Amino acid sequence: MTTAPRPTSVGEAGSGGGSCTLPAGAADTAPRPGKRPRRRGPGGEALSGYLFVAPAVVLFAVMGLYTVGYGFLLSFASWNGFTPHWTWVGLDNYADLLWRSPVYAPRVRSAGLNTLWVMIAVPVLTVMVSFPLAVLLNQARRMQGVLRSVFFLPYVTSGIAVFFAWQYILRPDGAVNLLLDGIGLGSLQQPQGWLGNPDTALPTLIVVTVWGAVPVSMLLYLTGLQTIDRSLLEAAQLDGAGWWRTNASVVWPLLRPITAIVVLLNLRDSLQGFQTFLVMTNGGPGDHTNVLGLEAYSLAFLKQLRPTLGLASALGWLLFAAALVLALINLRALRSKT
Amino acid sequence: MTSIPVADKRPRTTAHPDRAGAMGKRPGGGGARNRRRLARFVVGLLLAGYAAVSVYPFLWMVSAAFKDQLEVVSGGHLIPENPTFDTLIDTWNKLHFFDFFLNSLLVTLYTVVLTLVVYAAAGYAFAVLRFPGRTFLSRLFVSLLFVPGVTVMLPIVLLENELGILGTHWGLVLPFVNGGAPLSILLMTGAFGAIPAELRDSARVDGASEFRIFLNIYLPLAQPALITVALLTAIPTWNEYLLTRVSLTDRSTFTLPLGLQTLAAENVPHYNNLMAGALIVVIPVVLLFLCLQRYFVNGLVGAVKG
Repeated sequence: MTTAPRPTSVGEAGSGGGSCTLPAGAADTAPRPGKRPRRRGPGGEALSGYLFVAPAVVLFAVMGLYTVGYGFLLSFASWNGFTPHWTWVGLDNYADLLWRSPVYAPRVRSAGLNTLWVMIAVPVLTVMVSFPLAVLLNQARRMQGVLRSVFFLPYVTSGIAVFFAWQYILRPDGAVNLLLDGIGLGSLQQPQGWLGNPDTALPTLIVVTVWGAVPVSMLLYLTGLQTIDRSLLEAAQLDGAGWWRTNASVVWPLLRPITAIVVLLNLRDSLQGFQTFLVMTNGGPGDHTNVLGLEAYSLAFLKQLRPTLGLASALGWLLFAAALVLALINLRALRSKT
Repeated sequence: MTSIPVADKRPRTTAHPDRAGAMGKRPGGGGARNRRRLARFVVGLLLAGYAAVSVYPFLWMVSAAFKDQLEVVSGGHLIPENPTFDTLIDTWNKLHFFDFFLNSLLVTLYTVVLTLVVYAAAGYAFAVLRFPGRTFLSRLFVSLLFVPGVTVMLPIVLLENELGILGTHWGLVLPFVNGGAPLSILLMTGAFGAIPAELRDSARVDGASEFRIFLNIYLPLAQPALITVALLTAIPTWNEYLLTRVSLTDRSTFTLPLGLQTLAAENVPHYNNLMAGALIVVIPVVLLFLCLQRYFVNGLVGAVKG
């Protein structure tokens, strides 16, 4: 092996293997179009490439493409899941959901409003909690590993088990009310329980969602913090910047790409996720916590023989379109600022 | 909080006159030290505060799981007055939790193994191999991130009904694996991409096949990423509830979250049993995470840097 990285074929001589694989691995999966000379006999590498992606592609074709296409077609039909044939209705489902139907349109509108609140509050609160948390955690020298695990616990346990636990502590005589009484804030107690009062139910669910969203966001910020060049921070200090200034004027702008990811992930989850809502309130009290994902879910699975499957599918596609628009706005905002 | 903890991380040497100068500018040597100690105390307090917020529901879950029927209704203290194992044992036996446990374990195991095999291969192809359509394919997989779960859930159920796998564990595993595609591929591509190409080139000179290079060089080096992907797949799969709820109907196939749901759906839910069940659901993932968390964080850091 004395001829270490000597390429096998002549074509590669100049460019060298290193320069061609490193940028491709940059995780953004936007590799440069392959203008590289082939390494082995023509098609050898391409063939193994196809073999390696084949399982993923086959699975995706069946479970992904087929179902996505199926759902798209279904959104133009009226069907209850049992009759042998679909009734084609064209764009009626979309029109019904958005403005036409006196039954569905108002529901969608109020669920949309609730979803909007969640979509504003969850990303903002998550960033407001997880960024300072990561900065503080990054400074802790002792116990950092332990604290990181503790902070990550909500993600690990997130599922219906911990939602039931939340339900339990939010009851009228639950632990949250007890705690408030204990620290002298008894006036804030909720006698009907935090989920039973229409005014507090949605904010409470938002808090629970943020509680579950902070761990991953914090970890993303933490990894971002660890990639910041230390000399940059020292330079800021030499210029006389204090702790607040350093974090606000140097660290925060440097981590803006991570903020964009955190916001994007949370926007998507707020728009589409509804598991917390389903398990903890099922939209109640009186539809005050109904969100679009939950509405789509109940249209799809809880309407028995009524022909709402097409409506459910259409609502799902409206959610998809909204998610896509949000992602594009987010990416644009990110690009213009960096 | 005016002191700058970043500065403390470096040993102070007089070798850097400019740095020493900057230190000297700070007013009062002893005062700064006290203030730094205070700052560290405040930081510790804030971190401990959020740690309490993180574990608060979990603590009450544990607490209620050791209370009896009477005590759990009365609210009461975090520390049970008459701690008892009966609730846990009772819940475990009454609900055939062992069967649910086994089902959860199988579904999670299949999902993780399949995810690792399928997307490690795909990640290798996207990171290392060059073939026409590569860019398109990798973008396609990532764009899947934006397809809402609820949009595809209904078609999946209908499709599986036709294929005859609705209600079976495979009917869960396949959509789970497919659903994890974007993230797993991103992480694996990142990890494989960070491995120096010289290794592969020299293996090629030695005449190793593509498959052997993948198996003997890339997979061992990407171990932290593999563990990260495994954890990021295992945790949500273990906790998965929505698709499970709409696709499983036979009680013998139920996973733990569904078993828990049946407990909550009783006329009067007994919160001590419910919390004991919740604890049984949660403990295995917590243990798994604690065992692997060191690799997990490193793997994630590597992926973000990559």
